[in-house]
Amino acid sequence: MASLLSSFKYSDSLAVVGISICTAFLCEGISWLLIYRTSSYKSLRSSIDKASKKLETMKTGDSKGLPGKKSKTKKIDRVETSLKESSRDLSFSKIKSGAVVALVLFVVFGLLNSLFEGKAVTKLPFSPAGVVQKMSHRGLPGNDPTDCSMAFLYFLCSISIRTNLQKFLGFAPPRGTPGAGLFPMPDPKTN
Amino acid sequence: MREGKSVKFNIQQQQQSGHISQFKFAKLLDPEASWDKDQLGDVLHWIRQVVALVCGLLWGAVPFIGAIWIVVFLVLSSGIIYGYYSIILKIDEEDFGGHGALLQDGLFASLTLFLLVWILIYSLAHF
Repeated sequence: MASLLSSFKYSDSLAVVGISICTAFLCEGISWLLIYRTSSYKSLRSSIDKASKKLETMKTGDSKGLPGKKSKTKKIDRVETSLKESSRDLSFSKIKSGAVVALVLFVVFGLLNSLFEGKAVTKLPFSPAGVVQKMSHRGLPGNDPTDCSMAFLYFLCSISIRTNLQKFLGFAPPRGTPGAGLFPMPDPKTN
Repeated sequence: MREGKSVKFNIQQQQQSGHISQFKFAKLLDPEASWDKDQLGDVLHWIRQVVALVCGLLWGAVPFIGAIWIVVFLVLSSGIIYGYYSIILKIDEEDFGGHGALLQDGLFASLTLFLLVWILIYSLAHF
């Protein structure tokens, strides 16, 4: 198995992916231990879900032009304020574990950097644009834009693996929270 | 007698879980089914991830080279999602926050997954 893997020119990429997968599980494990299993997180999550659904129903009713529009608007504002407060409290509750997870990620990145510094771990099937190339060609010799450093590969692994893992385990942030938009990163407080 | 009852109970449980799985998959193709915003968002997210995985494997195996194939993937996966919720599920997008909200579910994660798989397969299979 080891000889088969080492026969690939870019077998280092598999090591980066493997380490990313293990790190993702480790980070979610830490987050579960420090946040997700606590009763305060569960109650905050539940109140955010309820407030989001209530807000949706009220806004749908509002758009259909139901009578008593002024009081309806006030109620919507109250629910929105409550939703923002709950989201803020949820963010605060994740600070402690967020710091631990950030430390783990920092250490793992440092380890990967020391292992693969100056080495192209994979080959890109496209030439990346300026800003992306700064990350993908970070620390690499030569001018070949398709040489890819560990940093870019690790970035792709982190986003794809951790986002899907959080989704699969049910730890993704609720849809009602701010920041769950076009570019939802893995829960930022656990980064 | 008791063994007979427990065997019957197990068979009933298995039939129920079989019925439940059939029900869940049937709902994915049922235009009459009612959808919760979260449920639909999750389904669209996972469909995008599957499309990203398949495209990444295919693009890397052929191989397709050039940044244009990233655009092709984005158009293809968005087209599949749009076709799924508008043609197969016949959903009124206004009830779920509009086309933007439905099309953005899982978009970024699928793009990074697609790039990861494409890059890996390309590097490992062709060098």
